[in-house]
Formats: sequence, C-alpha cells, structure tokens
Amino acid sequence: MSKDMMAGFELFQPDTLQGAVDLLARYGDEAWALAGGNDSFDWFKDRVKRPSYVVDLTGLTELNGIREMADGGVEIGALTTLTEIENNSLIQGRYSILADAAGRVASPQIRNTGTIGGNLAQDARCWYYRYGVDCYRAGGDTCYADTPEGQNREHCLWGANRCVAVSPSDTAPAMVALDARMHIVGPDGEREVAAEDFFIGPDIDIERMTVLEPGEVLTAIRIPADWAGSTFYFEKVADRNTWDFALVSIAAAMVVEGGNISRIRMAAGAVECVPRRLSVVEQVVTGQPKNEATANLAGQSSVRGATPLNFNHFKIPLLQNLVTRAIRDA
Amino acid sequence: MAYKLIGSNFVPPDIRGKVTGSAKYAEDFRVDNMAYCRLLLSPIPHARVRSIDTSRAEAMPGVLGILTAEDVPAQPAPADPILTNEPMFIGQPILAVAAVDETTAHDAIDAIEIDYEPLPFCVDPLESLFPGGDDARTDGNVVDNRLTGPPSIRQMKWGAADFAAVNEGQLPTGEPAAEWSYGDIDAGFENAALVLDESFVTAGMSHHSMEPRSAMAYWQNGKCFVFGSTQSQSFVIPDLANYIGITPQELVYVAETCGGGFGSKGSAYPVMSIPAHMSKKIGQPVMMRISRAEEYYLGFARTGFQGRIRLGFAADGRITAADVYIVQENGATVGFPDWPSAGETVSILYQPPAMRWRGIAVQTNTPPRSAQRGPGHNQTVSAVEPLIDKAARALGIDRYEMRRINAPGREARFGENQAPVTSCYLQEAMAKGAAAFDWENKRALSGQRNGSKVTGVAVSQAFHPAGFAGFDGIVRLTPQGQLHVHTGIGNLGTYSHTGTSRIAAEVLNCDWENCVVERGDTRKNLPWNIGQFGSNTSFTMARTNYVAAMDALSKLKEIASIDLGGEPDDYDIGEHRVFAKADPARGLTYAEAAQRAIELGGKFDGHELPDDINPMTRESATALAGTGIIGVARDNLPITGQPAAFVAGFIQIELDIETGKFDIIDYLAVADCGTVIHPQGLATQIKGGGVMGFGMATLERHIYDPQNGLPGTVGLYQAKPASYLDVPETMRTDAVDEPDPQSPLGTKGIGEPVMGAGSAALICAISDALGGHYFNRVPITTDQIVNAAAGRDQSHGPLQVNTA
Amino acid sequence: MTDKDSKDGIYPEPQFDRGPIADIASARASRRQFIKGVIASGVVASSAGLMYGCSREEVAASGGVERMLRLTINGETRTVDVLPNETLAMTLRYKLNLTGTKLGCDRGECGACTVLIDDVSTYSCSTLTHMVRGRSITTIEGLESADGTLHPVQQAMIDELGPQCGFCTPGQILSAVALLKSNPSPTRDEVRHALSGNLCRCGAYDHYLNSVMRAAEMA
Repeated sequence: MSKDMMAGFELFQPDTLQGAVDLLARYGDEAWALAGGNDSFDWFKDRVKRPSYVVDLTGLTELNGIREMADGGVEIGALTTLTEIENNSLIQGRYSILADAAGRVASPQIRNTGTIGGNLAQDARCWYYRYGVDCYRAGGDTCYADTPEGQNREHCLWGANRCVAVSPSDTAPAMVALDARMHIVGPDGEREVAAEDFFIGPDIDIERMTVLEPGEVLTAIRIPADWAGSTFYFEKVADRNTWDFALVSIAAAMVVEGGNISRIRMAAGAVECVPRRLSVVEQVVTGQPKNEATANLAGQSSVRGATPLNFNHFKIPLLQNLVTRAIRDA
Repeated sequence: MAYKLIGSNFVPPDIRGKVTGSAKYAEDFRVDNMAYCRLLLSPIPHARVRSIDTSRAEAMPGVLGILTAEDVPAQPAPADPILTNEPMFIGQPILAVAAVDETTAHDAIDAIEIDYEPLPFCVDPLESLFPGGDDARTDGNVVDNRLTGPPSIRQMKWGAADFAAVNEGQLPTGEPAAEWSYGDIDAGFENAALVLDESFVTAGMSHHSMEPRSAMAYWQNGKCFVFGSTQSQSFVIPDLANYIGITPQELVYVAETCGGGFGSKGSAYPVMSIPAHMSKKIGQPVMMRISRAEEYYLGFARTGFQGRIRLGFAADGRITAADVYIVQENGATVGFPDWPSAGETVSILYQPPAMRWRGIAVQTNTPPRSAQRGPGHNQTVSAVEPLIDKAARALGIDRYEMRRINAPGREARFGENQAPVTSCYLQEAMAKGAAAFDWENKRALSGQRNGSKVTGVAVSQAFHPAGFAGFDGIVRLTPQGQLHVHTGIGNLGTYSHTGTSRIAAEVLNCDWENCVVERGDTRKNLPWNIGQFGSNTSFTMARTNYVAAMDALSKLKEIASIDLGGEPDDYDIGEHRVFAKADPARGLTYAEAAQRAIELGGKFDGHELPDDINPMTRESATALAGTGIIGVARDNLPITGQPAAFVAGFIQIELDIETGKFDIIDYLAVADCGTVIHPQGLATQIKGGGVMGFGMATLERHIYDPQNGLPGTVGLYQAKPASYLDVPETMRTDAVDEPDPQSPLGTKGIGEPVMGAGSAALICAISDALGGHYFNRVPITTDQIVNAAAGRDQSHGPLQVNTA
Repeated sequence: MTDKDSKDGIYPEPQFDRGPIADIASARASRRQFIKGVIASGVVASSAGLMYGCSREEVAASGGVERMLRLTINGETRTVDVLPNETLAMTLRYKLNLTGTKLGCDRGECGACTVLIDDVSTYSCSTLTHMVRGRSITTIEGLESADGTLHPVQQAMIDELGPQCGFCTPGQILSAVALLKSNPSPTRDEVRHALSGNLCRCGAYDHYLNSVMRAAEMA
C-alpha cells in the first residue's frame, strides 16, 4: 500500500478536438482525457487508476471561452476555468447561480486550473471508492458504504441502487436549474443532451457518473436565455468554508411576477448520485406567492421519500431548510 | 520591570529564509548520488506477515535495496517499531525500498508479494474492554504509559455486569488501570445542591504537521549524518542514535527548521532512522520522502477519550467534589499518558476540595498516538467547560462568575498530591479578558436572533504545565566581542530559540546586533537541553540561559579583578565592558576579556568544566574551549512547585440554525505566561492555538469503519484543519505579564493551553447559541448542529468513537 | 503484494504496472541514448539524483510529448528532461533544485506548493510540467530582486512576523503576490478569500493577513 507516485504513462497534447477524439479512440480503455487534473491526479497518484495514455485537452483553445449566443443564451467552452466563469460579467449578470456555484468549488488555485467540463463530469467522492476498494463503482461486486455500520455521512438520500455515492459537483445543480444543454463530441459524431439527462445514477450505469461514453468529450455547455436574469438562489453547505465538497447544495432559478412564482427550476446537490431536480417543489410553488408559507411548504415537500442511511439523516432537515431559503430569501 | 531586550520584538534570524524559500527542511537537502526510499505500508489493521517475496522487486533495474524488520533494531513492546512483521494499524510500515527514483521504488513496492495472516482488530476501546471483545494486540489490550516507569501492557476485561449497570449513553466504569483520590467525594456529592453525571467522547485527531516527516541520511568518516524533522534538537540525539544503533558521538543531526510538530515530533521517532539504515545497507545517501498519507499513518495523533465526570456544585456554584473516569483510545502502541492529565486538569482548573480520578488506556488498531498540544488537558477542557456552563445555567449563575469562583489563584493546588504551582494568574487573565471582551454586555446577546442566526457567547479556560529545570546552557564571548548563545533547542516555529537566547543577552547587557544564536546542527556544539514540547521552553530555557550567562558574567568580573585589582563584586557591566563600579573608566571590553580568558585558560575558556553538566554539554564545551569566555552551567536553581500556564478565552459567534454553520464574530484570549519575552511571538501563538482549537472543536476527527478497520480520514482534505475562512478575520490577544518567581526574568511557557482555550470557548458558544444544548462530544460537526437544531437524534451512539 | 486470506479481498490489491508498450525497439533505443547523452552533458541542472530516473523503460509512442522541455522560471529559461507523469512541483524541487516550493500533501489539499503560472496562483503538485511549457512560472525564489531587496510581501511578512514554522509560507506569499497583482488594494476579507487555498497548520492566518495588508499599503 501507499502508492504516492504516478505510474508512467505516455502523454499526448493534441491541438485540435478531432485529434483528441482520434487519440482517445485509438487507445480505447487504456486512454484518459485530462483537463485540469484535479480529479485525475488523485487516482493516478494512488495508482488506483493507471491509464497508459493520457490525452491533455488543455491545448484545445477552441473549447475555451464564454460566448453570447444569438438567442441571448450563452455558450461556455468545457475547458473554461471555474475562475473565469466565477468572474465573468455575463454569467454574473444573467446566470449568477452559475457564477456563485463556480466560485464555491474547492479553493482558488483549484478553480484556476479546474474546468467546468471537469467539474461537471467529475467522479464520485465516496471515501471508500476513493480509497481504492473493489466496490461496484470500481467494477467489483459490493458496496462498502451501504452496510450496517458503513460510515456514510456524506452519502445519498435518494436513488440508492447498490451504490450510495452522491453527485459532488457544485456547478451541476446550477446547470440543471438553468436548463443547460451539454454538447458532446465523440468518435461517432456529435450530440446534445439536456443537463438533467447528462448525469446518470447507478440504476443506469454504476461505473459512470455521466452519459459520456468512452472516447467522448464534453465540448461545450449551452445555457438558453430562458432563465437569464431570473431571481436566483445558490447555497452550498459544507463543513469548511473552502475546499470541502457540499453536504447539501441548492440551486434555484425563479421568475416572480406580481409577487407570485410564475415559473421555477430547482436542483439539489449531494443528496443523490445525480443533481436532484426538485420537480415536486417546482409543482408545489408554481403560481404561489413568494412568501414564507410557500417557502415552508416547499421545504417540507422537498424531503418526501428521502431514505436516510446510517449517518446522513441530518441531510433531511438541511435540504428542507435550503429549499425553504431558496424561496424565502431569493 | 523594564528590560533592554526582553519584552521587545525582534527579527528572528531564520525568518528571512522562510520568506525567501532558502530555509531548508529535511526534504530540501540534496547530496550527490542520493537514492530514494519509499515505504510499504500495511493494508490491514492487524496481521502477521507469513512471508515476503521480494524477488520480482529485486530484479527490477534501479532497485538498490530493501529493508525489512529483521534489518533494523527491534524496539521493546509496546514502543513503536521501526519496521514490523506484525502490523497493528493500516499504514504501519513493513518494509522499505530504495531505488534510483521514487517511481521505481513504487513500482518495486507494487511487485512485492506479502502473505498476511489477518488477526482480530478493534477500533473502539469499550469493545475491547467488553468480555470476549477483540483486542488490538496479541500481547494485551491495556497499556500503562505513565511516565513514572517503563511502559507495560496487560490484558484487562471488564465484566458484563459493568456494562449492564449503566444506562445507554453512560460510560461503564469497570476496574481502572490506575486511580487516585483525595478528600471525601461522597460527602462532597451528598452536600451538593446540584450533581451532574455526564459521559462524553473526544475524538482522536491527527497532528498533520504541515511538513511531513521526511528524512535524509548518509554515512561519512565513521559518522552518520541525518537531516530530519523534529521539534527538538539536542533531546533527539540519544534516542535517534539508539534507533540507528550508534553512539551519540557518531551522530551528526541537522534540524535547523521544522515545519511543525505539535507534539508529534517532540523527540526522535522510529521511522526517521530508516534512511540511516538503508544508507548503510546500500552505501549511498538515502532520501526518504514521507507523503501526506504516510504522515497521517505515521505522524501520530491525539488520543481519544470516552469519559465520564461527576461534578457536585453548591448553590453558589462552588464545586464540592469531582469524580473523573477516562477510557483512553491509545492506538496500537505505547501512546501517551493523556488519561492522567485529565485528572490534573480538572484538579487545577476547578480546585475541587475532594476528587477522584480513574483511568485506563486501551489499544486500538489505529495510528499511533503521541502528545498533541495539551495532551489530555485540551480534551478535558473541551469536554468539561461546557458542563460548567450547564451547571451555571441550572443554578442561575453567570458563567464567568462560575469560573471565577472555582478558578485557581495564588494558592492553587493540583493533582493527586495537591502540589503547588510556581505562579498562577488565571484570575487576573480572566478579569483582563472579561473587561476587554466586555463580558458584562456581551453575555446579554446570548440567544439573540437575527433571522435564522442566533448569537452565542462563552468564556473558557485552559491549563498546561509550563516548565522544567536541570538542563545545561553554554554561552561564549568571543575576542571579536560577540556573544554566541549555543542553544540545544529546536525550531518548531515559535522562535523560542532566539527569544530565550535573548535572556542570556539581557543578563550580559549585550546589544542584540552583536549576538549570534548557534542552533540546529550538532556540529555547532550544543548543550544538552530538553525538547520543545509541553509548553516548557520559555521557562526552562530562561533558567538555562540565565545560569550560563551568569557564569560568563562571574568570569568577566573575575578576569577584571585579576587584571585590574580588587574583588569581582567591585565590577559591573555595561556597553559591552566590564568596569570598576568606583571608576568606570577602569575596565576591559568584552573582546579584551575574552582574549584574556584564552590566555588564562582553565575554567575561563572552557578547559575546566563543572562536574554536574551532561556528557553532551561536556563534549560541546570541550570543543569550544579556547575560543573565548565560556559560560557553562547546569540549571540548579531551586524549584518548588510546578510551573503552570493558563489561558482565559472569550468568544462570540453567530450560528445559523437552519444550516448548522456559524461565524466567529470575536475571539479574545488572555495568557498567563509570566513575563512576556516576545510580544509578536506570543500573539501569534495565542491566535494560532485558537485556530487549532477551533479545528479540534468543530472539524477534526478520525473515522474508522468498525467492520473492516478502513480509515475514512486519510489526508489533509478529510482531516479538515481550519482554513482562513473558518476562523474570524481578526483575533485579539493579551497577557497578564506578571513574572513567575521561579523563572529568572519571570517567563513561563504557553504553547498548549492556547489551543484548549479556543476549543472550549467555541464548543461552549455553540451550546449557548442553541439555548443550552450540550453535545458531550468533541468535535461538534455541522451535521450534529443541524440535528440538534432540528430536534433530531444524532446518528452516532453517545459513546461511539471513530465515527462519522 | 497480495493478501490472499483477507476478508473477501476488501483491502486494495495493486495491479502490477502494465507499462507502456515496448514494441518500437529501434526508435526507443535511439531516443533513450539521446536522452542519456543529453543528461550526461549536464543539461539538467540538478546534481542530485533524479526523482524520475532515466533508467526506466520509457517509450515514446508516436505523437507523444518530447521529454526535453524549455521552461521559463523566474524569468530564466531552463532546459529540462521531464517525464510525462512528472508534476511541476517535482521538476522544481528535484531537477531544478528550487526547493522553496514545498510538498505539503501532493494532492492539492494544502497550498504549500503554490506557484504562479502567468501570474495565476496554481498548485504545482497538481500540474504536469508538460502542461506549462511556454508559460511563465514564478516561484518563491523569483520574488526578491537581484540585489537582495525583498518583495513587499516578503518584507511585510518579516515585519509582521507572518510565518511560524514557515513551511506554508512560500505558498502563502505566492498567493498574496497573485492577489496584489490583480487587486492592489484588497480588503482584509478579499485577502482571506484569495489565500483560502493555503492552509496553515500553525494557524498564523491573522499575522499573514496583517502582512498582506501591510504589503498592500507599502506598495
């Protein structure tokens, strides 16, 4: 044990997207797509994941940048750093929950190299999984966290299906709340997937967190104008006020007209293996006045059906409170 | 008292290196032909190694050598081994591999096959005490590691009846491994208006010194050179030499800069000898880089407590009796005697007229324990200070007043023998803090609502023994007119090496520009000193440097009387001269006197030395003989009583009951550390200790899955030490600054109670914000606060340890 | 190593390194000789042993990165042999003998390894050296002037007794330098946030903040 030095690999630094896709296709399951590296290097240094071929995407300048689209929405290249998103005036002005979320990821240095694509596509942070055990997610045949005395404080309230890890991304709930669309390029061509469908749980594929197939690259995120300039609310609760992944997070986009909530999107992070779209809450509050009573009702409805594990029932009142705040304090 | 140097700030000689990156820590040293060594750590919490097959590793190009447990001196159980064939915690090193580079070393480690026989393991002391429960070791489960004699292990099981006799959440109190008592506790409880009977848990937490304990070693001309990471310097030598299997004279040890220790690098530790052994085996210098994960496994941790305390209170708040029981989670090896310090802490801070202490230290298959900043003392204040608040609430007494009534004063007594302390100004510290914090008005904010936020305010106190005696000092006045202070103490970041050396300069009335601090390398000819732990340095080294400087002073005067006539007492010093009081123009400069010392020889220039100095000091002084006036002495100053340091803490927080998150609005701590010798240094110690205390209070703990012994908090991320954003933007500090009468110039140490004050204050404030909800647990984490605010039970059992 | 009798293999079993494919023998041989020759000629600055040896079997599959890199560090261009899996922190510390940048965790969890890449604070432990070729790298060693005058942040840290043990100090300083370049008059809260990716186990945060605020005033 104690593997603290990356094993050797060959490194490629393509300067075109097609070049990157070709390399990933050529080397198949021995290849690894690398962006900022904040997720990858841990695996490599612990020698749990040992690709022979690493494809560095950071030279693909075409995948970097924030552009306004003709329809008033915005397109964000997947390699755009979290710092750039946090500080971008367009995002701050029109889609502030995404700027807020990006600004709460990890630490400043990580945000300086971490990319939005990497943050969205990141792997689960269940400590057993990260430790390197042979659980389902790692291709094995058991789960360590969902056991009689499993130390599962940070794990899920919904969607347990042999794996109880949660979606750790701070930006993912914001993307779901903004109805974002993910643009993907692979060996078989391009496709676009709604944010809500981009993230998958263990019921679909226990070894992946997103629909990205081997060899596919997330190239851009397109946010429509639908929620631009809405009333937004983002909050992340974590143990420490830097570095730490969320215990629970909430992202909400809401249009208030005449004191009533005419439409709303809300998603929670770190309560399920995917960002959890709170459709029930959306239904409950649509058409209702934006006030404390509605907020409390929203909170209460958000936790129905939650199935706590050994150590995470605190997430139930925490989620409830965050949902309440998202309506009340937005 | 106005001093020339003491009490003023200074630019420490090592700070420029720290801000330019030129200061060298162990892993920064480079020599030609250096090989790289990595460790193979146990993946299993407890096992016996049946066989090791290194053939594939040895065949790999670039692999230079492998060390196993047979190649290094065995350490007597229950001491930590250097390498082992019976690993007792995940992460214990079994063997070491040296190679031309680290990648090769790791590839070689991957290629080594080890056949393990798994053995029973345990991560909860109470499970081990239960009849039939698994033990962490095969040779026993309870260790006596009190420093009164060599440590011993035995097997102890409590009876099922002991466990059945208590309610859920109460600590069973079976047969202790040790106990003491004084006074009549039964009467004390009988006569009490209020009796609290509280069980509590304090978590084990890792030191996580910023610098992992890398080491580099090579052999040259019959000596072993080691570049290591320790808090101490001279104190390291005998144990390190022993680990390597050489005499102290054959060891050259360099530890000029240490990136933090907090008690985990107080002296030598086994793993730091591995490069020396490997270097000897392969005939090349060896660098052993310790990774952060390894620092978690090998870098020690604070012991955990499952405790129970009964406290009796009179109606006016005065404590009538205390009964303390500590079950200590001790890791798998010798650990540290935090458990008796718990009793000492209760006895001194609350001055109970009757008290009993009982305790037992139980092994678990978790990282080894050492002292950690206030070992035992700070777990105790973190757990017990909230209970003082609980009693205050129940009796309707102000919480500050509650402490004031019970806190020690001049006549403070502590421990089993109700021994005296050398000084105690805790009452003054509390009064000073209460005034500056405005306790009178701030306490009224307790419970005040601002939306979902509630204000909590609290006061806390902490204690630690703060000094030793009987160590040696060497100072040297050179013919160039400079004062060299040879100090055998380490550099863990407190600048005490310079702060306490200035005491010698003060005695000799030297300008600081003409002073040189010699430290950090045995080749600098350093005296035997105790290590930098236990908050001792400011007291111990004040005495040590004082006596050495006084010896130099007496030699100055004697030389003057020899050359210029009269008696030594006819002479005085000033402006780097020794001169006749009656005629100041008649005198010698220090430079001239130093030259005369060399000419006179004998005791003046170190050719004759006192009989009672340590052999290490003797060797160092002998090497310096003939270079000027040598002032060398053992601290034989009288000492009656225990030097003790105290801190009072005050805090205001705003807690959001919807999220469990809080902000610290104000934190102020006042130290009783005797005379303040380095104001900037003290301020940063008080604040830094506060920060570490906040982490202890609300963030840091070990987690182990009891089903398989897997560690859940390896690494800095999972350990969660407090960051900039988890502490207040500004903190306030002050000191009583009253001299301790048994320390020349009055200084005492302070490094540890500063952490306890911060931890206890924050825990008390959280309970206060929640309207008097007491967790009986350290740390109080976000989820616990959320559950409490929501009126839900906690997820963990009340006495569960190593748990999320 | 294996743990054949352990409970259902719950303890992680390492996989033996598959290694890069060794099938381009002649190309490999000539490349290895080239690299060894270059190193023997002293191009690599460090006289100490290498962290990443050249004795391993390394093949460059066609299209993979060239190992020799020109790096711009503290205004100087250095040519270094850098393996693909080598982090910037390791290159700085073990090939260029710039040991001011510290390894506190090697995981991006502490900030002790912070350097500036084009004036942006970055964890050098979490950056492959190959990813920063062509960029301007600033380490702690590059802050003082040639005549020994300290950068205002360094001087302020001395005046305010910023460091305690000093191990996190280079990283703190680089983060502060990056902040002051983009925000010369920050509030104390802005400084806190900018440095929030730098841990200090000694807890010297208050004095570090005092130092940076003083440096901002002085400059």
